[in-house]
Amino acid sequence: MQYHQSESRMYYSSSSVAESLERVVRLASGSAVVIFSVSTCCMCHAVKRLFCGMGVNPTVYELDQDPSGQEIERALSHLLGGGSAVPVVFIGGKLVGAMDRVMASHIGGTLVPLLKEAGALWL
Amino acid sequence: MASHRVGEPAALSDSGAPHHHLPYAIPHMLHHPSNSTFINQEGPAFDFGELEEAIILQGVKINNDDKKQHLYTAIRPAATLDMFPSWPMRFQQHTPRGSSKSGEESTDSGSALNTLSNTPESPSDHRQPPPPPPQMDAAGGIDSPRMSGSQPHPPPAKPAPEKTLRRLAQNREAARKSRLRKKAYVQQLESSRIRLAQLEQDLQRARSQGLFLGGGGAASGSISSGGAIFDMEYSRWLDDDHRHISELRTALQAHLSDSDLRVIVDGYIAHYDEIFSLKGAAAKSDVFHLITGMWTTPAERCFLWMGGFRPSDLIKMLIPQLDPLTEQQFMGICSLQHSSQQAEEALSQGLDQLQQSLVDTIANGSVNDSMHHMAVALGKLANLEGFVRQADNLRQQTLHQLHRLLTIRQAARCFLVIGEYYGRLRALSSLWASRPRESMIAEDNSCQTTSDLQMVQASQNQFSNF
Repeated sequence: MQYHQSESRMYYSSSSVAESLERVVRLASGSAVVIFSVSTCCMCHAVKRLFCGMGVNPTVYELDQDPSGQEIERALSHLLGGGSAVPVVFIGGKLVGAMDRVMASHIGGTLVPLLKEAGALWL
Repeated sequence: MASHRVGEPAALSDSGAPHHHLPYAIPHMLHHPSNSTFINQEGPAFDFGELEEAIILQGVKINNDDKKQHLYTAIRPAATLDMFPSWPMRFQQHTPRGSSKSGEESTDSGSALNTLSNTPESPSDHRQPPPPPPQMDAAGGIDSPRMSGSQPHPPPAKPAPEKTLRRLAQNREAARKSRLRKKAYVQQLESSRIRLAQLEQDLQRARSQGLFLGGGGAASGSISSGGAIFDMEYSRWLDDDHRHISELRTALQAHLSDSDLRVIVDGYIAHYDEIFSLKGAAAKSDVFHLITGMWTTPAERCFLWMGGFRPSDLIKMLIPQLDPLTEQQFMGICSLQHSSQQAEEALSQGLDQLQQSLVDTIANGSVNDSMHHMAVALGKLANLEGFVRQADNLRQQTLHQLHRLLTIRQAARCFLVIGEYYGRLRALSSLWASRPRESMIAEDNSCQTTSDLQMVQASQNQFSNF
């Protein structure tokens, strides 16, 4: 698992949701599997354990340890259409969703092909 | 019972001296006031007003004409008939035997008389002895050809004075009013009875769910309203489940077409979707009720995982029952089991972390900022709802995936197996609860397991030794 901090200094003034979303998309495209998380959130812990259990090495952004984390959280919440902003999973730069979507995808058998496609899993 | 009643008056007219039997008959009837057959809810109830009238007129008649027994029975069947307004037909077959009337004629006369007796508001003069009213004439007219040989029926005794007649009319009115009142009251009682039975049934269901609460709940022993509401919904869902299972079973046995089966299977999936939706709402109001399994039976609670069944266990149970499966299907189901296990593991680890975090918060609550710590702990507890919802989501997705992987006939069989399995598990709880207990004292110490069980069933002191 790799923990990254977003380049908040350069985008210090970004407050609009659109700019934050842009950043989110940019960050998401940076790795095969990207998880936006909060270190104290137990559901985030669960989703991290899920990917690790599958042998995947996701890139995790802990928003509570990021100065601009709040804006990203707001943008993510906007993206998901309300509700909890974390955890959110991107695979291959594309949005998968929150925990329930990830679960449904895994049970439905679509998660593993996505991971393989993104190069996060080899069999 | 009707025949029994009719039989008695029949004996009256069959015998040669009805006139002295009749007075006995009346007290006989009066001795059975509580007999429900007298309370005729369909037609007019037994009418004491009419009885009184009949007695008076009868007495008058007897004094004047006790030899004309056939006339008595023919002309005055109204008296005895009125007493049994609900059994006119059978009665008439017996009463005119002495007068050798044909059954039809007597029926006619009887029914004519009966309608008269049933409508006391109608011309009340039909009972006036003389002159015989037109209706009476009709009956009398039918009678008279038969009795041509006998004396023309004498006019009944001179009418009682006006006062008596008025009193009789008033009595009739009062009797009618009390009849109507009684009818209304009885109807009210009936509807209350139905309502009571309904309430008792609901209470029974709620209690049978609440029984498994044990002593762990609030001091009052009651469950929260959210939990109680869910329990009622769940018991209704169980009834529906039973219905769905029967439908699946008969559909499979009847070898219905695939399209028909599909409807039933889709219905069963929707049935499960419904319980997950109900559980979602219940998780908001009382997550502890769900996660501790207070809504389930003890045997189910034993295997409870995060507020419900463990999907991978269900699939493990299903695989041998679903034979025959194609290679592809088998791979698909094994893969489903595997991914379900991974998801369960992830959720369990998340819940473990929540538990650990909660323990830390409560343990580190100092006297100074205990309120703050409690507030933090409350915030963490709120996450429980999310885990129960994710677990239910997992269960729902598993069932849907099974539906996708299997043919319609296989799916029908699969859901039948699932329904029967959980039904048996629930039944196991009931059987276990009602099993005959061994004596408390261990008779055979060499049998370790039995004595262990007996020790567990014995006092707490002994249990603590283990």
